[in-house]
Amino acid sequence: MNLFCLGLNHETAPVEVREKFSIPMENLGQRSHQLTTLDGVNEAVVISTCNRMEVYVATDDENLTDAELRVKQNLGFDPDDGAHFYECQSDEAMKHLCRVVSGLDSMVLGETEIFGQVKKAYQYALEATATGGVLNKVFQKSFGVGKRVRTETMIQNGQSSVGSVALDLAEKIFSDLKNSIVMVIGAGEMSRITVQSMVLRGVKKVYVTNRSYDKAEALADEVGGEAVRFDDWSKVLATVDVVISSTGASEPVVRVSDIEAVRKQRKYRPLFMIDIAVPRDIEQAVGEIDEVYLYDLDTLQKQVDESHARRQAQVDECEKIIESEVQKITNQQKYHG
Amino acid sequence: MTLTLVIAAILAGLAGVLGVRSIIAERRRTRWTVVLMILSFLAQLIWLGMRGEQRASCPLIDSGEILVFLAWSLSLFYLIVGSAYRVTLLGMFSAPVVTVMLLTAAIPGMLDADPAKQTNVDYWGEMHSAISVLSYGALALGAVSAVMFLVLDRLLKTRDTSSGLFKKMPPLHVIVQSVVRLTVIGVSFLTVGLACGFMMRSHGGPHFWVAVVVWLAYALMLGVWFVRGMTPRKMSVFVVVLFIASLSVFAAL
Repeated sequence: MNLFCLGLNHETAPVEVREKFSIPMENLGQRSHQLTTLDGVNEAVVISTCNRMEVYVATDDENLTDAELRVKQNLGFDPDDGAHFYECQSDEAMKHLCRVVSGLDSMVLGETEIFGQVKKAYQYALEATATGGVLNKVFQKSFGVGKRVRTETMIQNGQSSVGSVALDLAEKIFSDLKNSIVMVIGAGEMSRITVQSMVLRGVKKVYVTNRSYDKAEALADEVGGEAVRFDDWSKVLATVDVVISSTGASEPVVRVSDIEAVRKQRKYRPLFMIDIAVPRDIEQAVGEIDEVYLYDLDTLQKQVDESHARRQAQVDECEKIIESEVQKITNQQKYHG
Repeated sequence: MTLTLVIAAILAGLAGVLGVRSIIAERRRTRWTVVLMILSFLAQLIWLGMRGEQRASCPLIDSGEILVFLAWSLSLFYLIVGSAYRVTLLGMFSAPVVTVMLLTAAIPGMLDADPAKQTNVDYWGEMHSAISVLSYGALALGAVSAVMFLVLDRLLKTRDTSSGLFKKMPPLHVIVQSVVRLTVIGVSFLTVGLACGFMMRSHGGPHFWVAVVVWLAYALMLGVWFVRGMTPRKMSVFVVVLFIASLSVFAAL
């Protein structure tokens, strides 16, 4: 039995090509089953995420090219798409799957979401009876390798975006965000992304303020918060634990005097301030106040870059694990004939 | 007997080394730190039991005994608080303190070589000594937690957030909570200890009044914390300074 993989991803194909081959999650089982009805295709698993579409096929066709052609035709492949697709066979296909499951082939190196997505795609194919002895073994093994890579290396350590670094820091200060109140100054895209991740962690309350009150209301509605008029934000400051500021102002919006005015009222509780505006919204001297932890965009981005560099340094170790695990399978297959 | 003390010190020392190693290697938190601290605690308990037999009273007569009792009390609170507030990293900070206390107690001259059996024991005095030293265990661990706070605060302020130490530290809020709770527990025990001291046949010496001043200082700090509020950094500095200053109680014995 031969194994091959055919696919495209964010590195080989632009979004318009990826869209063309994208398959909704709920159709993955049916699509996998359809492929097994093709001549020479014994087993198939189709994976489709926003960054990739891949097909894994087990075939007893001696001539792999024929089986590949039939699969390509079935996927609606035309000659122009050729440059965007990659193909690999046998051990290389197995290695590729292990790299995908381990997050080594992802846009954000080491991300964990892909593991669940591949597992789900395999589950759909299994339920649609599109898999058999070969692909069951290949996928189960790849999940084992993926787990080993993640536990034995630090490929998933650190954060991959400014928002997630800010979220981690907030949790390092306040432990559980469920008791924290957040204030967003400026209703732009960066604020929205950052506050949304905090809302997902269940923050107690969100205040949104913006020069244009309509925009503040719109973002407050989106995140289930409360809009505050721009002239009144300092009144709310006494109650909040986290401030996210991202306005387009050319002068600082939050000054030392604003914080000093509410310190006593706050009983000197810790205040985490995230300044993701350029130019900066929060006076630098605010960070010198005892209970204030001030982080600006450059500091957060530096941590993202460091985290990425640390992940990159783990790639060789991950590849070694994959190589040795695939070698083990190959040896077992040779031993069992 | 000294061997038991040295074994207890080695076990606590190993707990500290394991904790530091897991942080440097950025490995997962090891349970062995807690296991070693439990074993050290038991060894200290055995030693205190044997010494109590020799004294026929609470072994809090010479400087060595006070140090061992303090180390035992600190270990006890670490074992209770460490698991309750998810601050097992506290072991890494408190284990070296316990080790130093036990090794210091084992230095020749710190312990009476031939401990005299106590006769005419004043039970209020016994209660006063035992409960007060227990309170010092909680206050010592509060001070250790306060040092932890100051370390994490410094890391956050300097944006040094990629080190293994930063990652292993419990959240700031949890540390502040444990500093406050341990100090409240310590001051509560100290209050009872002082009340027992007041009931003693002979009280009013410098030791008693130094203890009263220590109690007042802690009570004042907690009052400010709960009523007016105080920055966690200032509170942590106070807790550390007050604990060091409060050791003068033993000098006034």
